[in-house]
Formats: sequence, C-alpha cells, structure tokens
Amino acid sequence: MKNVRLFYSKTGRLKFISHLDMTRFMSRIITRSKIPVWYTEGFNQHVYMNFALPLSLGFESVYEVVDFRLNDDGYSLDECLQRLKDAAVADMDFFAISEPIASVKDIGWAEYRIDFEENSENIKPFCGFLSRESIICEKTGKKGKVKQIDLIPKINGFTEDQSSVTLRLAAGTEDNLNPSLVMSVFFEQTNTEPFFYSVKRIAILDKNLKIFK
Amino acid sequence: MDNKAFEKLLLSVQKPGRYSGGEINSVIKDKEKVDVRFAFCFPDTYEIGMSHLGMKILYSQFNSREDIWCERVFAPWIDFEKVMRENNIPLFGLESRDSIKDFDFIGFTLQYEMSYTNMLNMLDLAGLPLRAEDRKDLSPLVVAGGPCVCNPEPIADFVDLFFLGEGEEVDLEVIDLYKEYKKKGAGKADFLRAAAKIEGVYVPSLYSDEYNDDGTLKSVTAAGTAPEKIKKRIIRDLDSVYYPDKFVVPFIEIVHDRAVEEIFRGCIRGCRFCQAGFIYRPVREKSVDTVNRQAKCLCENTGYDEVSLSSLSTSDYTGIEPLLNSLLEWTDSGHVSLALPSLRIDNFSDELLEKIKHIRKNGLTFAPEAGTQRLRDVINKNVTEEEIMSACKTAFEGGYTSVKLYFMMGLPTETDEDIKGIADLGQKIVDLYYSLPERPKGKSVSVSISVSTFVPKPFTPFEFEPQATADEIRRRQQYLKSCITTRKISLSYHDSSTSLLECVFALGDRRLCKVIEQAYRNGCKFDSWTECFDMEKWTAAFEKCGISPEFYANRRKDYGERLAWDHLDYSVSKDFLIRENKRAHNAETTPNCREKCMGCGAGCYGEGVCIEKR
Repeated sequence: MKNVRLFYSKTGRLKFISHLDMTRFMSRIITRSKIPVWYTEGFNQHVYMNFALPLSLGFESVYEVVDFRLNDDGYSLDECLQRLKDAAVADMDFFAISEPIASVKDIGWAEYRIDFEENSENIKPFCGFLSRESIICEKTGKKGKVKQIDLIPKINGFTEDQSSVTLRLAAGTEDNLNPSLVMSVFFEQTNTEPFFYSVKRIAILDKNLKIFK
Repeated sequence: MDNKAFEKLLLSVQKPGRYSGGEINSVIKDKEKVDVRFAFCFPDTYEIGMSHLGMKILYSQFNSREDIWCERVFAPWIDFEKVMRENNIPLFGLESRDSIKDFDFIGFTLQYEMSYTNMLNMLDLAGLPLRAEDRKDLSPLVVAGGPCVCNPEPIADFVDLFFLGEGEEVDLEVIDLYKEYKKKGAGKADFLRAAAKIEGVYVPSLYSDEYNDDGTLKSVTAAGTAPEKIKKRIIRDLDSVYYPDKFVVPFIEIVHDRAVEEIFRGCIRGCRFCQAGFIYRPVREKSVDTVNRQAKCLCENTGYDEVSLSSLSTSDYTGIEPLLNSLLEWTDSGHVSLALPSLRIDNFSDELLEKIKHIRKNGLTFAPEAGTQRLRDVINKNVTEEEIMSACKTAFEGGYTSVKLYFMMGLPTETDEDIKGIADLGQKIVDLYYSLPERPKGKSVSVSISVSTFVPKPFTPFEFEPQATADEIRRRQQYLKSCITTRKISLSYHDSSTSLLECVFALGDRRLCKVIEQAYRNGCKFDSWTECFDMEKWTAAFEKCGISPEFYANRRKDYGERLAWDHLDYSVSKDFLIRENKRAHNAETTPNCREKCMGCGAGCYGEGVCIEKR
C-alpha cells in the first residue's frame, strides 16, 4: 500500500459543489479512472480519501490537495495522473501527483485572492482595514458558542493589485480563518454596503510558509 | 446573460448544484453543427428528475445522434425562480445555458398528475404562451410523454403532440419528420397533421369533444386523416433497443443516486389498482447477459458504487438466480453493492434473502396493499397472510428487525373491518417477532405502516370506480389510528386532498384544462410538495371555472359510459377491464400472465410473455 497526494484545481461550474458533494464526486472520479485504489476495510467499505483543506461552496481554487492510497506500490504515478485526468470533467484539472512530503497537520496558512470586480474603489479602504492594530470581532463556533477573536494574528500579510487583494490567512486544523469572515467584518466595521466579490484559493502553505506538498 | 453575472446569482440560492450543469457525462455539442435542439423537461426539482430512468435513456439516445442535441431542464425551486424572474433569466438548458424558447422541441415527461402546474410554470418561464393554439410557429413544439399521457385530456390544450407508450422509436420518427418539415419551411399545422399518422402520436388539436346534458362525454371526433384510435408504441426487443452506457452523474445528492439497470418492462401480475401493471403490457424481458453487461458498463462509466435492478416486480424476472450469480461475480470485488427493489412476498425465498443479505442490510419493505384476504382478493394482490408471515419470519431470522408495510385505503368495497385488518396484520407481525427463538438478541422490532389513498386510474379494472370522499378518507385514517395499540407500530398516511386532485386529473376530460390554468394563475406550483401545496387555491380555481371535482372523482361510471381516454388504445381492451371489474366485485382473483392468458389484448403485439410457453 502506498500513500499518494493528488493536486488539482476546482474552478468554473465546479465552484457550486460543496465539500460534502465533493467527497462523493472525487470518489466517483477515482472509481471511473480504474486506478488500483485502496478501500477502507470496515463495514461500509469506501475509497479512502483525505482532503487537506476543505473549500467553501462558491470559492474557486487552483491548489487543492487530496490524499488517497494505492494497493499496488509499483503502480506508475504518471499513469495514475493520466487516468484521473481522463476520468475528470471540465473545470477540474489534476496537475500533479506525488508521494506526500508534509503531513496535513503541518498546514498553517492559505492564500486567497479576493476579486472585488466592479467594486475596486473599496480596495484602498479594505487594505486600510487590514492594517489596523487589531480587528476584534465575534465568531460563532461549531457548537453555537459566540466568542470574541482578533483577526490580525490570523492574517499573515496581504498584497493588492488593481482589482483584487491577496490575503494569507491562518489555515488548518488548529486555527482557520475563512475569507468570508474577513469580508463580513470589513462590511460591518467600516459601514460598507456589502457587495459581491469572488474568492480563489491560490496556495496552501505549511507553518513555515513553504508550499504544502 | 453572461456566465459571470449568472454565476453570481447562483450563489444566492440554495443548492446551486441544481442549476450549474457540467456534471460527469453531461453532453456539450456545438449548436451550429446540430439540426435539432431538444429540451428534455422534467416538471419537478433536479433531485427528482435526475433520478428518472426514462429521462436518462432518452437523453443519451438523442445525444447519440450527431444531428440532435438534447439538454436537461428541471423546474427551478421557488428561490431560484424568484431570482430568474427578477433578473429576466428565461428557462434554460443546463448544458448550454441557452433559453429553451429557441429550441426545436420542448419535451415534458409526465410522471404524476400533481406536476401539471409545474409544466405550465416552466412554459411561462421559458417565455412561451401556455396554450398550444397561441404558439403559431413550427418551433418550439411542445411535446409530452410518460404514464400520465394515457389520459392526457386535462392538459390537451397546452401540448402540441403526445407520445403514447415507449419513446425510443416514436420520438426519433417524429424528430426526423420535423427535420423534413423544417427544411421545406412548412407550417405547424401541416407538420402536426403529418405527425398524427405516425403510430403512437396523438395530436390533441385534431380531436374535438362533445358532452351530454348530464356532463358526461358524448363523443370525440377526429378531424381529417387523423386516426380514430391512437395506439401506444412498445419496444419489441429489449436486448437490441438502445440503453445508455453512461448516466450523467450529479454533483449533488439526488433521490436515487445509483446506476439503474432495467431488467424487464410490464408486469405479469395484474393487480387491479395498478396502472403500470396494465399500460406497460406485455411483459418483455432483457436477457441475463444483456443485463449483466449493461450494468457493469454503467458502473464503470459513472463511478457509482451501487447498482439497482429496475422493474415493476424484480423477483418475477425469470432468470433472477443466474442473474444474481453473474452480477455478484463482479459487484463484490468491484466494491459495488446491489439493490433489489420491488420484491414480492410470495416468491421471497431463503436463497434470495441470503444473496441480498450478503450485500447490504437495511430495512425490508413489503406491500400487502390491503388488510384482509377478502380485500386482497378484490384487488387481485395474490398474496396470502401466510406468505406475509413466512416472509417476515425469514427476514427476522435473517437478522432484520424492521419491516415496512405499504397499504392503500379507500379501495373498492372496503369496510371498517378491512381497515382494522391493517392494524391486526401489523400486530401479528410484532407478535411473530417475539415468538421466534431465533430473533436478533436484545433488539426491539419496528413495523412501519404506510397508508396511501387509492386513486382509480385509466386503463385499470377500477377505472369505473369512485374514489372515497376526502372526508370519508380522513375518518378511516382516524379509525385506523385508533386500532393501533402498540408503539412498535408506526403509522403514516397521506393528505387526502392531494389524492382527490390526483384522481380528478387522472380520470378527467378536456374541460379541466381551464381549471389547471386557473390554479396556475392562482399561484399553484410544486403541488406534490406539502410546503407548496395549497388546496384553497385549487378550490378557488374549480369554483371560478364552475367545475365540480366530485363529478370526476366520486362518481361511479356505467360500463357503457364513454371515458375521456376511450380514443386511446393501450392494448388492454375495455371488455377485459369490465370482466376484471366484475371479478373484483365477486372477490375473485385472476391468475398471472405466466399461469394463464386472460386475453387482455396485449397479445396483439405477439411479443414477450404472450408468446412464452405456459
């Protein structure tokens, strides 16, 4: 048995697929590709998969990572990648496959490009907002508990261009900041009328800011 | 509308995956390179429509032709419909996102009467007039098929052309004729007159109705060369007919999210309430080899991990044992599970249970349909209490602890004794469980009883029967509830006003078109969804049109009365239905097609069970 890590992009029509739907979808793609994939051995056997960092519905991404296992240690990874490409759909590109280097637990940061589209006049105020000493806001936890958090320690730099801002945000199992929370706090605390923006994940990084591989 | 603006709107609604398109195996073509664009419309949500086998078959078959591009269209849910109307987005095909108004065909599959208002809503969302007479051009042609089309009179004013029976051949014949007429620039009327000559095609505008003073139908007259009787089409050989090698695999979870392999059409049983058991005659089977090959191919091309065998009564398939053996050869090792719906109690064997147990263990569902033997004989559900008990015993000893039972209420000749019989049967099953030394240890039993309301349907021996009134059904439901004394039995039943409407539109005539249109104008849609159904709007529509629903639903008809569907020929003769109705009233059962031929009329095709050796 061999662990493998598959890298792909999820864009266009695929941004409407929730994470839960994505797991089912990926399992079908893998089955269709007829690679010698490893199944769990429990009562309800299924393709073993582990997604590095779930992506919210509505977001695009050019850097998605899923781990699975191959039964055949000697199976060519090039062959594997080609078969997966053939089994995939438009708007999903499998661009690399390798044996995992880092552990999923090492993920620390992710980069998101927020496209302001026709509301680019808000870029300057947004960057100003991000440059505050602290951004205290309320976050509702999974169990419905509301707690006060500061966003600034969870933001590790940003860059801007004419129509978008790219943010590096805390990511992973220990601490995770969703760009929609940053945007909604921005709207609320700067009295800005909410507008439409689109989000694309650009990269997943480890705790040392190296590309997660 | 550009894609970006469209996708922005999609993000504002629930389950955008319903409208996004782009699924595995969905078909994209160059619209400049096709001659015919077909919008295949299912008048309900994506999750329901995508589960429908007929749509999968015809979608793939049409698209297998280079000159046709078939796209899928579903009824947008309330939230997205609002967005569409506010932003002037016309109803579109999921594949191209083009407005279907400019397509050549808009085809509806009509599976249940309560979807009629959705069909009107979809025509309106497409920007088309609802009535066929108001759509003057050759295209788009609004066509429809499906089981409801065996009495299409209540929607005859909205549809240009109906397909009677199975569509694989007749649909393409009509499309080819259309291509010819489109090329020569012919008009709609010319085309429809020519199409009416194809067997299985019913063009309602070529027929006119007359009524007697008492409101009953007097006559239906065909104009010009249109046939007096329109005969349904069947596929003669299921081994050679087109069957898809792949399905579109949805992103979001749908109702039946699995590969489906059809094993036969029709049913040998002839349960007298069951429309499917009559209109799909004669029984024709696919061979074991074909089923096995097609099922395997489907799983490989879709990535589904479950395959379901589809038919009206799986265990009546003559090759069921060899079929299961050959399927199990690859399903097990391929991590595919096998689902066998529609098993009958009377041939539910130990071996069969052993095989399905081996695959997956969930609840078992049986359909005794009626609570007493007398009433089961009336409806010709040839199942005895002993068989029900023995099937439950087999199931319990095999480790099952829950059983689901389906019944109908309001069946012809039903009395309170029959209702009490439902509760008694449930109690006997509970008692049986506790009497078994080999029952699963330490577990309680659960018997779910689900009771639907009987709806008399065209082309069944009960087409002459009245439906019990909504008030009477409510009384019987309460009575049944009072008969159940243990918490091991759970009871569920359906709303009776929906059943009344189903009955009216199943048995009704052309005068109901205006009621459906009025109900739609009153805001009715998604009538099969309890959160959307509004009986008051329907009542208002009937009142405004001066039409009594009771006239259609609650009146017994003489054998001699002309019925709204008498000009359609579904191969079972009216004489046969009358004979069966008389036997029902004598509580006399009828043997199944394999035991004895009762001369229903389906033998005219000379196919399937009708020419098997008995």
